[in-house]
Amino acid sequence: MSDENTIIVCRCEDVTLGEIRKAIREGATTLDEVKRITRAGMGPCQGRTCRLLVAGEIARYHRKHVSEVLQSRYRPPVKPVKMGDFAALSEEGGNSQEEGGHRQATGGDGQCICGKAVTGK
Amino acid sequence: MKTTELAIVGAGPAGVCAALEAASCGVKVTLIDREEQIGGQLVKQTHKFFGWHEKSAGTRGIVISGDLADQVKANPDICFMGSAEALGYFQDDGVLLLETPVGIQKLKPERLLIATGASEKMILFPGNDLPGVYGAGAVQTLMNVHGVRPGKSVLMIGSGNIGLIVSYQLAQAGVKVAAVVEALPNIGGYAVHASKIRRLGIPIYTRHSIKEAYGTACVEGAIIWQLDDNWQGIAGTEKQLDVDVICLATGLTPLCEFLWQAGAEMAYIPELGGFVPLYDENMETTVEGVYVAGDAACIEEASTAMAEGRLAGLAIAYSLGKVPADEFSRKRAESLKELDELRAGPTSGAIVKGLAVMKEQMRKRVSQ
Amino acid sequence: MKPDVLMTTGIPSKEQIDSATPPGSRRKQGPFVVIECFQEIPCDPCYHSCRFGAIKPFESLNDIPQVDWEKCTGCGVCVAACPGLAIFVVDETFSDTECLIAMPYEFSPLPGKGDPVHLLDRSGDKVGEGVVHRVVPGRKPQGTPVVWVRAPRELSLNVRNLLPSAGKGGNNCV
Repeated sequence: MSDENTIIVCRCEDVTLGEIRKAIREGATTLDEVKRITRAGMGPCQGRTCRLLVAGEIARYHRKHVSEVLQSRYRPPVKPVKMGDFAALSEEGGNSQEEGGHRQATGGDGQCICGKAVTGK
Repeated sequence: MKTTELAIVGAGPAGVCAALEAASCGVKVTLIDREEQIGGQLVKQTHKFFGWHEKSAGTRGIVISGDLADQVKANPDICFMGSAEALGYFQDDGVLLLETPVGIQKLKPERLLIATGASEKMILFPGNDLPGVYGAGAVQTLMNVHGVRPGKSVLMIGSGNIGLIVSYQLAQAGVKVAAVVEALPNIGGYAVHASKIRRLGIPIYTRHSIKEAYGTACVEGAIIWQLDDNWQGIAGTEKQLDVDVICLATGLTPLCEFLWQAGAEMAYIPELGGFVPLYDENMETTVEGVYVAGDAACIEEASTAMAEGRLAGLAIAYSLGKVPADEFSRKRAESLKELDELRAGPTSGAIVKGLAVMKEQMRKRVSQ
Repeated sequence: MKPDVLMTTGIPSKEQIDSATPPGSRRKQGPFVVIECFQEIPCDPCYHSCRFGAIKPFESLNDIPQVDWEKCTGCGVCVAACPGLAIFVVDETFSDTECLIAMPYEFSPLPGKGDPVHLLDRSGDKVGEGVVHRVVPGRKPQGTPVVWVRAPRELSLNVRNLLPSAGKGGNNCV
């Protein structure tokens, strides 16, 4: 089907249906294998859009049910995060009990909008 | 590290109702959502809800979300963390990682409820990456949250309740809906929603799909065609539509990333929307202390999501010793009866079948 | 299997419409409700909205509403209450040539009394011209307004939507 090179499966990484099918024809049998060959699912949405579509293509090619296609793992973080943010986390040591264990996240200024305690203990 | 009795990921109808129920029993709740606002998809729902007269039927989703948000804010036992996106759940130490405007934070809850809702399913067609191709959720966000029309003329793909409702909302916003196409032989959503848009002059084509979208820099039009019994397009049945927006309402699938990470046992049950966690009558997954409610458990209406949330909140409160056993069993029975009634009609036939599959898998698991 | 017209087009079948319409004798007596709700869905506000007991009690939340037309006064409260916008009131006794039809209308701007409107059928096709007789604004927060229009009497069972003919109405059929 000549259309397959104009149909985008993974919008984040611009991977076409043709590229996905080529990877499957060449032996990829799992979502992870297709991902490593084509980058489908490695973009900002981490496969939320294309995961089922790729699984469907693998299933169709191998005449399997989509539930039998090996799913790739959902590793944290589920979306791209800046390295610096993780670095800040480890420096903080993960302890903010003195603030009542609670810094409200709304508004971006670290201020609490509700003034309630999280821990209550 | 911060701790809390109950962390709820997702402040949509299921998460908020769970928070309110659990807090009413004395549980300290941290309610987390990536949006600044409470309500999840409810804030975009400008149509009136079905259900019981006593339980907000006839009220618009946006009004319900306002009421729920007021209740959350007034409740001293619920802390709402807005603009906070969960990044991951670490099974071994039971820690939830959150990205907040003040940096990444760790939270260790005694109980975890995943109420993350669903993600939209996409379909493949030539031109599907042209600007102007939207998911129905994005169209609702643009129109109903930001007050922006997505375009002048829309082709709606999918006639489930979302496709029908968003078509209605587009018409209310003064946007022309050129057609609704549905691949199945019958309209997927409620008949009253279909009739409502039909009398606006919006045609609904069942057994039809999109053949292609065309345009150079953005969508300039679409071609639809009729499908045969094998879901293949029939040459010669093409219709060309002058549209600048193609809106995909082709179904939802549960968003269960944190449940996979928690090691919850998952099953592929198409009637429930795809891969779903196995859960029991308390909405508890196969991982002790990890619960699920709403679309993350099974793709359904907001009214059932709210009922599931209340059930999960109650069960969590009981598991924490906050509710006496007799009160728990009485309230749980009420909750289950409520869910049964919501699902008693023919429009819930597939859901009931899917839930039976779930029950059977849980039974097998326990007997092993 | 015979295709279900309602579920393939969104337009109720003639049989369904007949089942929602009272007998001729009742139609001559004054305004009556027409509930075009033909599918069991979990929904009951219509029953609770009727002060006259004209909608029979529901045994199950999924019941299809059944009307007792002898009790119905045609007040139109249920028109605004129905979440599915599936209820209408028709008065064929309005005059010798005209009827009144009450329809839910959630478009902006709301037409005003005396405004001319195109009358649309269940497919959104223009079938005649009418005039706004009365507008009942939505009651509860963001409730559904109900527009009563004067229409040619022979269209009483066909007209189910309106489009303001002067100015812009937010409607699809332009």
